[in-house]
Amino acid sequence: MSAAAQPTGIEEFLLAFADDEHLMGQQHTEWIGVAPFLEEDLAFSSIGQDELGHALMLYELVLELRGVEPTDGSVDELAYFRGGEQYRSSTLVEYATTDWAEALVRHWLYDTIENLRWQLVAQSSFAPLAEVAARAQREESYHRQHARALLDPLLASQISRLRILTALDVMLPMAFASLSPPAGESEAIAEGLASGSVLDLAGPLTGAVTERFDTDVAAPETIVADRRVRSADFAPLMSRMREVFDLDHSAVW
Amino acid sequence: MDAFETFLDGGGIVEADDDMPDDYRRAVFAFIEMHANSELMGGLTERDWIPKTPGLRHKMSVLAKTQDEIGHGHLLYMVAAAMGVKTRPQMLEDLFAGKSRFHNVFHYQAVTWGDQVAIAFLVDAAALASQQAVFKNCSYGPYRRILKRIISEEGFHMRLGEDRMMRIAEGTDVQRQLFQDSIDRWFWPALQLFGPDSKPDDKLLRWHIKSERNEVLRDRWVQKFVPMLHSYGFTIPADDLFYDEATNQWDVGPIDWEPLKKTLAQGGPDSARRITEASNNWNRTAWVREALEQASATVPA
Repeated sequence: MSAAAQPTGIEEFLLAFADDEHLMGQQHTEWIGVAPFLEEDLAFSSIGQDELGHALMLYELVLELRGVEPTDGSVDELAYFRGGEQYRSSTLVEYATTDWAEALVRHWLYDTIENLRWQLVAQSSFAPLAEVAARAQREESYHRQHARALLDPLLASQISRLRILTALDVMLPMAFASLSPPAGESEAIAEGLASGSVLDLAGPLTGAVTERFDTDVAAPETIVADRRVRSADFAPLMSRMREVFDLDHSAVW
Repeated sequence: MDAFETFLDGGGIVEADDDMPDDYRRAVFAFIEMHANSELMGGLTERDWIPKTPGLRHKMSVLAKTQDEIGHGHLLYMVAAAMGVKTRPQMLEDLFAGKSRFHNVFHYQAVTWGDQVAIAFLVDAAALASQQAVFKNCSYGPYRRILKRIISEEGFHMRLGEDRMMRIAEGTDVQRQLFQDSIDRWFWPALQLFGPDSKPDDKLLRWHIKSERNEVLRDRWVQKFVPMLHSYGFTIPADDLFYDEATNQWDVGPIDWEPLKKTLAQGGPDSARRITEASNNWNRTAWVREALEQASATVPA
């Protein structure tokens, strides 16, 4: 099976981004119908679509590198049917929450980091990746505007400020951990696919958080996280995502 | 009222700021409020399955559809609120308190993925047929304009629903059994969505909100879906179903309206859970709305 093939360094590098986008989009789908107001239901369904779309494009790049034609079937094989140890997602996007404050703070943190990550590949020597980055960056500016437009008033009100800062305490360590360089990154940098390491994004992230949340934060001295290891929330999440597929693996849905 | 009805009979269109009889205002408002509530509760029925949609591209289409549906609810609540009977928050509070109505079909739970597809196929078609009939001759201008957009988007949803249904119908035994079970659960609720035969003095017909009688729309749906489901080899859960050779029409036999009546009194199979969950979700995020209200109040004009 193509999806089970041992990935090369470059593929690992792309899968780390693709898996993050996939699971972030997936997490957004959980808020449809239960957000604080209708406009937020709309925003999360739209942003969720964008993130899944980015994942789709990145998975397609991995398949092309493998010489596999990207079809709905081959993309889904890669997106849904690797063993847990083959996923490269960060804990930030695996984390399950039913708290809107955490969901909103994660949305802002993830999109802030995502934008910086796209910048690292915007001038990629791998032209299809640069094209995906250009498209994604246009959408991402709306995502960040959306998160900002909610966070600003919620941080200004005494009713909500503490909830948002409490959520930040929970989410920020995961956000920094997501900056641990994925396998294949050094190869990607050496080949000009990426212009720098995600590790270098810790400084910009710290600055952005300090400014947005008006609170002192410091990046951890060392960022150690292994994207080959899954968090406790991954298995239930994946089982939910595969539930219909699991009814009959020979079926086309 | 006579002069107003003459105006409506002559094709007159009522706008939000126009004078209108109070009975007309209340009846049209109640109709639009129920439509808005149904879009919202329909989204909640589907949300149980959206995260489980099999496939990345498939999930993106389902999200796009959901985004449309919630968008319809959003527009409908605006149109309803502009009638000055209730504000949007009042409508939502009433909905979550179990005090207002939404379509019978959303008092049932989607228990399998097959149900999700059956809703997109059978229920959406029934809802679309009703909306088209309202759009055709609707005397309330703001509603008519919104319906135009809703109907054009619902047309895309129908094709998505048909496409998904066909993949299942032409699929494996597991898929076909799953969908047969869903037809067994959803055929009657979808048919009952049209309601019992219209009364001779139905005000919504007289005031040009509805343009066709319930039984006419219901029968048209039966004539389309019974042969279509048969053609894919599915059975219809109607013991008295027969084909009348004389009229070339399908007849589903007597219709039991008790299940519909129960849903109107919030006593459907899933009404209590549905309303309680919606209400709990609403309350759980009350702090967001309160904080935003406070923030907007402190922003200098």
